[in-house]
Amino acid sequence: MSLFSQAFRPVGSTRADPVLVALWVALILVAVIWIAPFVFIVFTSLKTNTAVMGETAFALPTDPAFSNYAKAWARGNFSVTAFNGVLITFVKVPLGVFLSAMAAYALARVPMRGRRVLFLLCVFGTMIPFQVMLAPIFKQVNAFGLINSYPGIVLPYLAFGVPYQVFILYGFFSAVPKELSEAARIDGASHFTIFRRIFLPVSLPALSALFVLDFVATWNEFAMALVILQDPQKWTLPLGLMAFQSQFQRDYGQLNAAIVMTVLPAAIVYLMFQRYFVAGLTTGAVKE
Amino acid sequence: MASVTISNVGKSFGAARVMQGVDVSIDDGEFVILVGPSGCGKSTLLRMVAGLETVTSGDIEIDGRRVNDLEPKDRDIAMVFQNYALYPQMTVAQNMGFALEIAGRPKAEIAAEVRKAADILSLTPLLARKPAQLSGGQRQRVAMGRAIVRHPKVFLFDEPLSNLDAKLRVQMRAEIKALHRRLGTTIIYVTHDQIEAMTMADKIVVLNGGRVEQIGAPLDLYDRPANLFVAGFIGSPAMNVLPAAPAGDALLVIDRFRLRRPDAATGTTLRYGIRPEDMLIGGEAAVEGIVEVIEPTGAETHLTLRIDEHVLTMVTKERPAVAAGDRLAVSLAPGRGHLFDAESGIRLAGC
Repeated sequence: MSLFSQAFRPVGSTRADPVLVALWVALILVAVIWIAPFVFIVFTSLKTNTAVMGETAFALPTDPAFSNYAKAWARGNFSVTAFNGVLITFVKVPLGVFLSAMAAYALARVPMRGRRVLFLLCVFGTMIPFQVMLAPIFKQVNAFGLINSYPGIVLPYLAFGVPYQVFILYGFFSAVPKELSEAARIDGASHFTIFRRIFLPVSLPALSALFVLDFVATWNEFAMALVILQDPQKWTLPLGLMAFQSQFQRDYGQLNAAIVMTVLPAAIVYLMFQRYFVAGLTTGAVKE
Repeated sequence: MASVTISNVGKSFGAARVMQGVDVSIDDGEFVILVGPSGCGKSTLLRMVAGLETVTSGDIEIDGRRVNDLEPKDRDIAMVFQNYALYPQMTVAQNMGFALEIAGRPKAEIAAEVRKAADILSLTPLLARKPAQLSGGQRQRVAMGRAIVRHPKVFLFDEPLSNLDAKLRVQMRAEIKALHRRLGTTIIYVTHDQIEAMTMADKIVVLNGGRVEQIGAPLDLYDRPANLFVAGFIGSPAMNVLPAAPAGDALLVIDRFRLRRPDAATGTTLRYGIRPEDMLIGGEAAVEGIVEVIEPTGAETHLTLRIDEHVLTMVTKERPAVAAGDRLAVSLAPGRGHLFDAESGIRLAGC
């Protein structure tokens, strides 16, 4: 109780601040709204179909059905889909972030003609929803003979991921004090060295955020994978989830166990990288 | 060590011409300070010497070699920035050794150079720290250390003390001067602080509106300013500048002070300048003014006086027993004044 009463008081004040109270209430509400589906999914993943149908959604599983996970793993062909997901995500995400960072550095810091036009093209790229491009992309990838191949899915992912990341990183790199790169230039560093030794470390919070966001987006991507990857041996985890939905058969326990297993890697990556989300890595670089 | 020659240098940003016809000659081992008001082009000129800005016209030579088209790294210069520009993720030692590392020097040599520079700047206990863990003065010293380890031909300083508090600034001023004495390297230093310029420089270049107003030793500029701009810019408090007119053999300053007219004072529109410390309390042909402000600093007293519509500042070692609103008779020290042409601003003679 005293913890809450402290939280509602500004430092040094003896009275609760109504604005702080409102902010706390809003924070708790948002947290509940976000956590509720996850609790629902975890609980359901541990229930039999009978229990799912007979109990309320948020009732604790009385007799946890851990076998749902093993069955879901087999039914969703997770040993294949998880491998494909890991391969595609771990190639695409670091490569995309690295390419985007290099492009953003060039646009922000390398003087060249047409820089503004190139940047505008990148911005334009962020405005195209990839859903409307699915059919042309399919034709293009098919023309290259890359349907049902890893490059066939990684290349379109890169094409749609890079502009957005360049846009974000361009803003971040432009805000890095120009004296840092000038000092490095005088020290004899090439543009690539400045990028690698100065800008990448300084931009770690932004890069980590992009990495996590891109990881989650790529890991969970469904529509493009469905169009390009038609061979079940090339499916990713979200496509594997399709095995749990059919007109005549629904096992909610297994379906939710599959969902938990699908989102778990993304959650782990998020938890691993969130410690890098600390702002102020540039503290001390220049006089504020 | 090297000489630097700046010949007829101009700079334009698009259609805006911000500098033209700048000529400065800097001798080997000289400590030259570029000084002037904000926007006068002093930092731009320094950045052109560093290679961080292109030269629109003219030539810059370092040690006799034209460097206009050379990359900054090929000019053999080192620069200390106003905001330190330390690499935040590197330790002090890594910051200082970065240039040598890039140059591919052996690790042992880098460590030795860093240790030597750290000793000079009293940074040895801080070598493992990151910039965020240092005070402003320590960060500035690291920035200087980063420059020292390279043994450049020319050091460039861009307002390095502007971010420090007054006490630290005085300390760092002395340290930079001592460093110059010790290393003997040519230094080009930009500041808008004329006290810094006066106390540190072998030679001062006064810039205004992208042009050189005067180049000279600090006391030359102080004692013989070439024009009204330099007269007003160098010295604190600023020189009193008053209207003057010839009257036969005499020169009348604000129609009150009567001085001997120098031969050069031929025009009718003249300005008479006198430093605040060259105004005397009492004396021959003293004129009464009304004391408006009294500012005792301990060592001296600054007085603001009004004579008719003219406001004058005087500085005296005495502690006059006057209060605001009192009348005080003051005179102008003979031979200590300067006569300027009012239109061109050019100094005509001492007076």
